[in-house]
Amino acid sequence: MSAERSILLSFATLIGLASLSSAQQSLESAFRTTGAEVVAAFDTPRQVLQTSSAVIEQGRTQLAYGMVVSSDGAILTKASEIEGKTGLTVRVDRQAFDEVEIVAVDPVWDVALLRVDADDLVPVEYIDEDAGDLQHGTWVVANGATSRLARRALGGVISANAREIPAAGGAVLGLVMEVTDDGVRVEEVVEGSGAERAGLEKGDILVAIDGMVVGIPEDIIEAMGERSAGESIQLRYLRDDGEHDVEVPLIAREELFAEQMMTRNDMMSGAFSKRRSGFPRVIQHDILSNRSTVGGPLLDLDGRCVGMNIARANRAESFAIPAAEVREIAARLMDGEENS
Amino acid sequence: MKNSLIVMVAIFAAFGTAAMARPFINDKPAPEGRGDLEVIQSLLHRNLPAARAATVAIELEKGSGTGVIVSEDGLVLTAAHVSTGVDLDLTVVMEDGTRHDAVSLGLVASSDAAMIRLLGEGPFPYVEYDSEDRTRLGDWVFSLGHSGGFAEDRGPVVRLGRVVRIAQSTYQSDCMLIGGDSGGPLFDLEGRLVAIHSRVGQRLPENMHVPMREFLRYWDAMKNGEFVGSGPFAQMPSPGTGFLGLVGEAGDGGLEIQRLANRGPAAKAGLEVGDVILTINGNEVPDRDTLRKILDEMAAGQRITMEIRRESGEHETLEFRLDER
Repeated sequence: MSAERSILLSFATLIGLASLSSAQQSLESAFRTTGAEVVAAFDTPRQVLQTSSAVIEQGRTQLAYGMVVSSDGAILTKASEIEGKTGLTVRVDRQAFDEVEIVAVDPVWDVALLRVDADDLVPVEYIDEDAGDLQHGTWVVANGATSRLARRALGGVISANAREIPAAGGAVLGLVMEVTDDGVRVEEVVEGSGAERAGLEKGDILVAIDGMVVGIPEDIIEAMGERSAGESIQLRYLRDDGEHDVEVPLIAREELFAEQMMTRNDMMSGAFSKRRSGFPRVIQHDILSNRSTVGGPLLDLDGRCVGMNIARANRAESFAIPAAEVREIAARLMDGEENS
Repeated sequence: MKNSLIVMVAIFAAFGTAAMARPFINDKPAPEGRGDLEVIQSLLHRNLPAARAATVAIELEKGSGTGVIVSEDGLVLTAAHVSTGVDLDLTVVMEDGTRHDAVSLGLVASSDAAMIRLLGEGPFPYVEYDSEDRTRLGDWVFSLGHSGGFAEDRGPVVRLGRVVRIAQSTYQSDCMLIGGDSGGPLFDLEGRLVAIHSRVGQRLPENMHVPMREFLRYWDAMKNGEFVGSGPFAQMPSPGTGFLGLVGEAGDGGLEIQRLANRGPAAKAGLEVGDVILTINGNEVPDRDTLRKILDEMAAGQRITMEIRRESGEHETLEFRLDER
């Protein structure tokens, strides 16, 4: 799928719109698909959003939504939206929690497990395990804007086939390298990359990657092979004080070079998620969310959880992790928590 | 026997009216709860498969858009800014990835309507269109489009919304559109094509579509390959920009080729030095000036049909396109 090659919709000019105004009729906003009168029909799922979705904030800034997965305070959210943030607060229904612990992160799915001190939360109820993928055109409901006390719902439909979204531009370390007499030397560490997080610096000499000796930069490209964003590789490097082993998390090239890789479709899309590719499997729907309304549950008309909203890809495409995978991720992250 | 026949006729008549009836949900200001939402959903479920099968990706050299087949023999409706011109070669991709050659017919440059013809062997899956202008403000509609280009594992993307504004040559809906959707279909809940995606507002979620009435108004002109109106959605190619790539002199019965440009369109089409051009697009070409006059009227990319006589005396007809000068 080449977004850049697609023919772009032309922008209507204001003059063009103004010239139509005499003969046109317009639908009041309350009756539009996202309007209050239409949204009122989603009352059952809205009740579930009220009790089982979470609002994650830092001060007055809303960062993301979350979904409650246990009565004793386990909440899933989108990891990259809260990464590096401190002083998080979480609101569920009418309760507010200022002590929030980031317990575990699944970097492949970009899901974080948060823990708040509670014992009476209402976890989401998943659809039947053997339900399979929802048919195209089936109603789904997700978080819209929120007030302090009330969650709002937005409706949409399943838009396309469930599928993998490969890391845009492939998975990268975030290193610019140069071949020197001493070996492959780091020329630059890209800001925000896994290499930077792992502590690599300009001048380090790369010795081995996943146990394989590095002779030329192509060795690294080969070792990266079919790796996905979210996975890590073992890197051994040489610095003045000797050899060091580190684990370097891989991220999507698009995430690292977001600005340089903006397409015209992106420019017409407003606030899309920073991490919006590199998911093993997603369902796609047309609920018009924005970056900070991602992370909450995706519900059916009965209010059962059919997925977890994980990315706003652009102005017209939203991705959710399917229920079966969310269930597995939640169980695995909570299990790891118990064992640690 | 006679009685049963009458009963059957009555039943058919009843079915007929039922099929024509407008879904009641369109006349409610908003759905009143779960039951109404399910009415919308069941109509969408019922009509999506046929709508998807007729929705195609349109690929050109410079990008891709969407279109929809409206007849068994492969007439496709799309946007003028997707087809970009008259009589151009295109590739059409079906839902399952099957590719067909196609050629652009006419377009309306002022309102963004265009027609394409599939060249493959039919019958093709197609949809009915609204020829009676039945769409009203607030009607529920769904859009299909190959957003960002054809992707077989994803398929065409469906979005649900309402008609939120109606103007003379534009509908606006709240089905969100993005690049690649251009030229794609907007359907009513009964699966009838009501408009073609055209453009979006720069800031607000405004999604504009060209209604069927605009297509019907120019139907015959488009089918006949006419370039209707001027801008902003398509530019008429400028005459005199075409390149043929040959030099000739008046010869026996036509223009005898003296030289051919390396890799020029004439050479690529198989013309050889010594061949005599008898006619171009049906016009005789006795000398150089006549050729110049014909080319001055033609634009880059335009199709040329050339009748020639080889040195062996054999007659041939070649068809190719002019390059850019």
